[in-house]
This record gives sequence, structure tokens and C-alpha cells, in this order.
Amino acid sequence: MVGKDCVAIACDLRLGLQALTVSNNFPKIFQYGDVLLGLTGLATDVATVSDLFRYKVNMYRLREERNIAPSTFANLVSSSLYERRFGPYFVSPVVAGLDQKTGKPFICGFDSIGCIDFAKDFIVSGTATEQLFGMCESLWEPDMVRLDLDFRTLFPPGIFFYMMILLKNGQLNHDVECSTIMHIICTSDLNFTNASYQSTFATGFDEFFANNLNLLDDLQCPEDLFETISQALLNAVDRDALSGWGAHVYIIEKDKVTKRLLKGRQD
Amino acid sequence: MADRYSFSLTTFSPSGKLVQIEYALNAVNQGVTALGIKGKPTKPLAQADAHANFLPTATNGIVLATEKKASSPLQDPTSLSKISLVTPNIGMVYAGMGPDYRVLVDKARKVSHTNYKRIYNEYPPTRILVQDVARVMQDATQSGGVRPYGVSLLIAGWDEGVLSDEELEKLQAGETSSDDDEDEDEDGNKKKASGKTGGILRGGPMLYQVDPSGSYFPWKATAIGKSATSAKTFLEKRYTEGLELEDAVHIALLTLKEHIEGEMSGDTIEIGIVGPPAHHLLGMEGVEGAQGPRFRKLTPHEIEDYLTNL
Amino acid sequence: MSALFSQNPLMNGPNYSFSDTPVSHPNEAHGELREHRFNPYTDNGGSTLAIAGADFAIVAGDTRLTSGYSIHTRYSPKVFKIGGTTADQKDATIVLSVVGFAADGTALRERLDAACKMYRYRHGKPMSVNAAAKRLSTMLYQKRFFPYYVYAILAGLDEEGKGAVYSYDPVGSYEREMCRAGGAAASLIMPFLDNQVNFKNQHIPGSGEGHAIQEREKKPLLREQVEILVKDAFDGAVERHIEVGDGLQMMVITSQGVEEHYLPLKKD
Repeated sequence: MVGKDCVAIACDLRLGLQALTVSNNFPKIFQYGDVLLGLTGLATDVATVSDLFRYKVNMYRLREERNIAPSTFANLVSSSLYERRFGPYFVSPVVAGLDQKTGKPFICGFDSIGCIDFAKDFIVSGTATEQLFGMCESLWEPDMVRLDLDFRTLFPPGIFFYMMILLKNGQLNHDVECSTIMHIICTSDLNFTNASYQSTFATGFDEFFANNLNLLDDLQCPEDLFETISQALLNAVDRDALSGWGAHVYIIEKDKVTKRLLKGRQD
Repeated sequence: MADRYSFSLTTFSPSGKLVQIEYALNAVNQGVTALGIKGKPTKPLAQADAHANFLPTATNGIVLATEKKASSPLQDPTSLSKISLVTPNIGMVYAGMGPDYRVLVDKARKVSHTNYKRIYNEYPPTRILVQDVARVMQDATQSGGVRPYGVSLLIAGWDEGVLSDEELEKLQAGETSSDDDEDEDEDGNKKKASGKTGGILRGGPMLYQVDPSGSYFPWKATAIGKSATSAKTFLEKRYTEGLELEDAVHIALLTLKEHIEGEMSGDTIEIGIVGPPAHHLLGMEGVEGAQGPRFRKLTPHEIEDYLTNL
Repeated sequence: MSALFSQNPLMNGPNYSFSDTPVSHPNEAHGELREHRFNPYTDNGGSTLAIAGADFAIVAGDTRLTSGYSIHTRYSPKVFKIGGTTADQKDATIVLSVVGFAADGTALRERLDAACKMYRYRHGKPMSVNAAAKRLSTMLYQKRFFPYYVYAILAGLDEEGKGAVYSYDPVGSYEREMCRAGGAAASLIMPFLDNQVNFKNQHIPGSGEGHAIQEREKKPLLREQVEILVKDAFDGAVERHIEVGDGLQMMVITSQGVEEHYLPLKKD
């Protein structure tokens, strides 16, 4: 899933043989340098394919003396899978990473014979595909930024009030209301110099943000991405009998990858 | 069956030499001289002008040049070509045996796809291609029933770096301050004498020589063929760090002039350059992300222009 | 998307050993002609959704009617008022939504409407949702071996005035719930409702470690919130399911009666 200057990739931990759960600690995400690969499908192929790419990426790194770029890796996955066109690995991979040069998020998915699905929002794969589509489609939005904080202490009262106006006008989107935390999601095209708001607050607002530009930098984009992808995954797998048993979530930022383990329902 | 008894022609001599390779080098050293000069970023970071963004690749380039010799005045020189494009950003020239060269060009173009483009959907960096071509040449020194290629190659290319602009700038700044052989211009600004270009992380122009043995060497400027030694001595004198591409072409022509047998004209000189993307050669417009080839050959007309300024 | 062509038996849902038993007609093997079997059912696609609030219930459905890849009509309602005194159902208090095979849906709706009207004539009072819910279940179960191929959702206000949503399988198994999605995009919408209506997987930050963490307190949503949720749920479904789209029909049941809204959805 793509966030603002970050990407996330997550998987559940169940390994099953149809309805029979075989293992409840079977991660499906593999890290190759700066690139992450998620693999769903036949477990033996998940193991084989992950090792195959471990080998290929290591060879690449030795040969070229650099880490493989996400888009290059995606093409490597595609060509490797298509090599087995008539006897495919039963996997549907997902690739996530940040472009080395520009830092732009990159995600894509594949079918089992390597057709790439480049997406700018999210990619889903596995038995809970439909549920994940439903969750992601309704929870995801571009450039998710969360002001996860006590608003009233952070913003002067006028600014706070103006934000409420923006909220009502749809320039800020109000996330689900929560009793302890207030989530506000800013859309990236938020225009602070919008002339249509000629209230006294508006000038204060622009000024405030002009003087506190770093405030916007500090907005916890990765945190909100984490929350979104986690909620999407957990709720989707809870409606799929073949997935679940907790989750791994990776948040990839520039120069940093955070891995979190989610408990989730154990049934 | 036959291959079981066909041994490699390249067999060690008791003194530990592979004389077939030395013979191949002899063939190269009889060949027409070819040379390559790598241009360098000219722009030292003027600290005062923070907004003049250092573009590490803007002025970078390489020139490959050689003489096109017609054995008879009846020959049509326009159909002869000694400098070849391998990938959109990589080209090469040779000294030695023409037919062997054409086989290598074919193989280089082929391996750039089979070993790279078809796997990663992008063209190989110069060093990777050079290694692939070098392997082809090395194979010919160790396989049954074949002889080594009678050519040396100069391979010039341009690599996309992976470092971001800020990282490059930081690197550049670090080098400037630590450089010993830097001189100051009249404003007191430090002028950087040697900033490394290239490197697979940083990208930029790359110039390699590949020999019949399969060994390869990176160069700032070099020459191969008949007058390689004297041409290299000449280049050592004329070469300076931070050459503009235009200057590099100029020096290339001067070097050739010293050693050329016939007259110099657009028809008898061949020049290939690695420079900024040549959008006019792309053949299409308005396609997002599409970039013209960085390697291109100069037309006889362009060469004539350089010659008149010589 | 990638899973569609995965050829992976594990990813194509549960399989059972008996699905592998030979199904072809014995005569077929001998090259004899086989009688064409009439298939009485079609899947007409579409999706429905119902959410119960403290003093209201909302039932919604898209208005596209498909068969295979063809769109038959872009405005065919799936949500109906039931048990009013007149043909225009303006005093109805119960709403039924049906999705699956449209013909069965229509038939079922008329039967349940008739049953509610008969109840009114005989008892001189409108039927309660609770009673109508049970009646609908028996109606479906009566056709246990030639079922109405519909996923029905019934909604109204219970005797205490609280929103009530009852959901059904095609043979009459039913349950009262806070929310339910049915039809083609049910699997897309249902986890979203779990999350946003029943606050599943939402916890109070810092209230404990691991499974000791406290769940977010459940409380019924406000009508405005539910209306936004319904629109968001359908917008998501429309984006990813080809059988859902065109229009969103929404019935809001309150103590004042039933309001009907129509909102456009993407038509592609």
C-alpha cells in the first residue's frame, strides 16, 4: 500500500491445507535489500520462489555492486515467472519499495506467470483478495497524513476553527471519530492559500503554516499508513476462513524499514 | 564426436604464455588507430551560488573516434561503419580485424538483451555489458575449435546512477573540500580539479577497453591500434580533467591528425559521442518517460564543422 | 486481480472431494445426444447492505441488473417497502432487500407483501418486523428443495423502536444483526462494516499489551455517519466489482416512516 513518501506491505501468518491449519507462524514477506516481496499461494512454491529471488538478488548485488531497485526487481520477478509459463509456480507475488533515486513509492503485483499489475494505490493477493479489495478501496486515500494529536494544544484556537471549516468543505477529511484520538486526514492538494476563505482565521492559518512548515513534515505519514494497512488486513482476514492468525506489517521509509507484529484473532 | 578431439588452439606455451592471444594482439596493433576520451563534469561547486544546482551529468560525455580507410578510391565510404551502437546509451569502436568486430557487435547487442534487457526490462550498465563482451572474448581463448578475436574494443557508455541529487551534491561537496590538488579561481572559490565521475552508484560516462584475452580496463582517455602508443602519449599531454564534450572532440581530432595517413574529412573520420539524450533520434514525441539515445554517431557534416575549427 | 488466474487450487476457495466425482451423463460417453438441461436460475448480480442504528435502520442496494457481462438495466431497484396499506406503500414500515436471482426476488417480495397485507386485514394492525422476519424465513424454507435464489435482508424498527436488521440465506436461515452486506460484493463490503460499524479490530491505544488491550466501546452510529458509510462502502464495491454500479438506492426507516434516496454511482 502506498503512503506519502512511504510504502507498506503486510501479510497474515497462517499456513493451511484447505481448512486444516498447519502452522500459525508462516510469514509470507521477504526482504531483499531495500525491496520487499510478498508471496501468497502454494507454500512449497513460496519457499522455492523466495529462495530463488534471494539467490538472484544476491547475484545482482555482487555483479553490479549496488542494491536492486524495486522496479528492476519487479521486472526480474516478471521474467522469472514467465520462464515457467507452462509449469508455473503457484504464487501471486507483491513487490513494494521506494525508488532509490527519487524516493517515490513503488508497488506492483503479479499473476502466477508474471503479468505485472502496476498500481498507484494498493495491491492485494491471496485467499482474502476480495475482502482486501473491499477494505483497501474504502480505507485508502492518496497521501495519507494523520494529525494524531491533541489539536487544541497544537493549534491556536483560530487555526483550529479554520481547520474545522476546511473539514466541512472537504478540504480536510474527517476520519472515523474516536473517543481518545482525533484523526484528521489531510489531502495533499490542500491549498493553504485558497483565496475563497476570506475570514480572519484564514490569514492566520496561512501565516501559521508558513511559519510552521516543519509541522507538515512531521505529520506522521508512516503511522497513518500503518494504521490503514493493518486495519485493512486484519478485518479482511477475519472474514476469510483461510487467512488470519496474526500479521506482519512492514513500513518502508527512506533509510528505514519498520517491522511490526500484529496479534489479531487466533482462530 | 568431432569436438571431443578438437582442442583449444589457445594452448599454454612452456613459458606460461598464450601465444595465440599475443598473435591476436599483434593483429590489433596493425589495425587502424581508434581512440576514446572521456569528458568530465566541468562545474566545480561554487559555494556562493547555492541555487546553481550542480548537474553532474549535464556536461559529461565521451568521444570515440577512428579513421575510416578506403583501400581504393573506388570504394564508397558512406556504407562503411566502424563505430556501432550497442544499446541506446552504449557504443563501441575497434582496432584490428573488421569481420571479427562485426561478430562481436552482433554478440554484444544480443547479450545486452538476453542477459539483461529481457530480464530486468532495462539496458545493462556499461560495466556489465563490457563484462559480457569480455566473457565472449575470453571464451574464444579457452574453447575448442575457435581462435581468439583479433580485435581490441573501446566501449563507451553512460549509466543511470542510483544516488539521489542531494546525495550526489553531498558527495561532490565532500570531495571538493578534501581534494589536495585544487586551485582557486580569482573569486577565491575553490575550483575542484578532480571529481570522480562514473561508478555504478553515481552514474555518468564510462569508457572501457577490451582486449582479445578478455581483459578490460577503464580509461579516462586511451587509444588502440597501430599508433596507440604515440597517440596515448599525445593524449597524456592534451588531456585535462573536466573536459567539455566539445573539447574532447577537438582533442580527438588533433590526436588523429597526428597519426592519420590519408586526409581528414567527414568521410574519412568517424566519430561517436556519448552525450545528452538525443531526442531527435527517438522517433516519437509525447511519450512520457521516453528518452532519446545518449550514444550517437556524428554525421560527416558535423565532423566537417569540427575539422574547420581545428 | 492476480489471483483470478492463479491456477492455484488453494486460492480458489475450498474444494471438496465430491466435486471431483464424474458428472457427465452416462450416455454422453457413447456419443449419444444428451437432452439440454433447463437451468431455472440466473445470477443477476448487484449488492445490498443494511445497517441498524439506535432509532433507525438503513437498507441500501445498487440498481444495476446484469446477467453475465451484460447490463440489462441501470435502474432496477432491489430494496422494497413491504406491508403498506396501498399500492404505493407510503405507510409501510418494513423494508425488504433482495439480491441474487431478480425474478425470485420479485416473487418473494410480492409473497411477503401479500402475507403482510393479509396479516393486517386479519389482525387489524401492521405486522411487527420480528413477525415479518419469521414469516419470511418460513416462506423461504417452504421452498427448501427448489429455493428462491435470493439473499434477503429485512429491516424495520422493533417493538422498542430500535433499528432491526434480519439477514437470510436462500433457504431461510436467519439472524438479527447490526449490519449485513449481501450479494455480489458482500465479501468486499462485509469486512468494512465489521470494522466501521462493529468497530472490529479497533482498540483503545495504550490500554494494555497483546490480547489484554481493551476493545473500543461499541455504540450505535448516528444516521449521518451511517449514510456516509453506506456511500463509501458502495463506492469501494463499484470500483472493484463489475456487477455493482449505476445507482444507489437507500431506504431510511425511522419512526416517521420510510424515506427513500437515490444517489448516482459510477456507470462503468
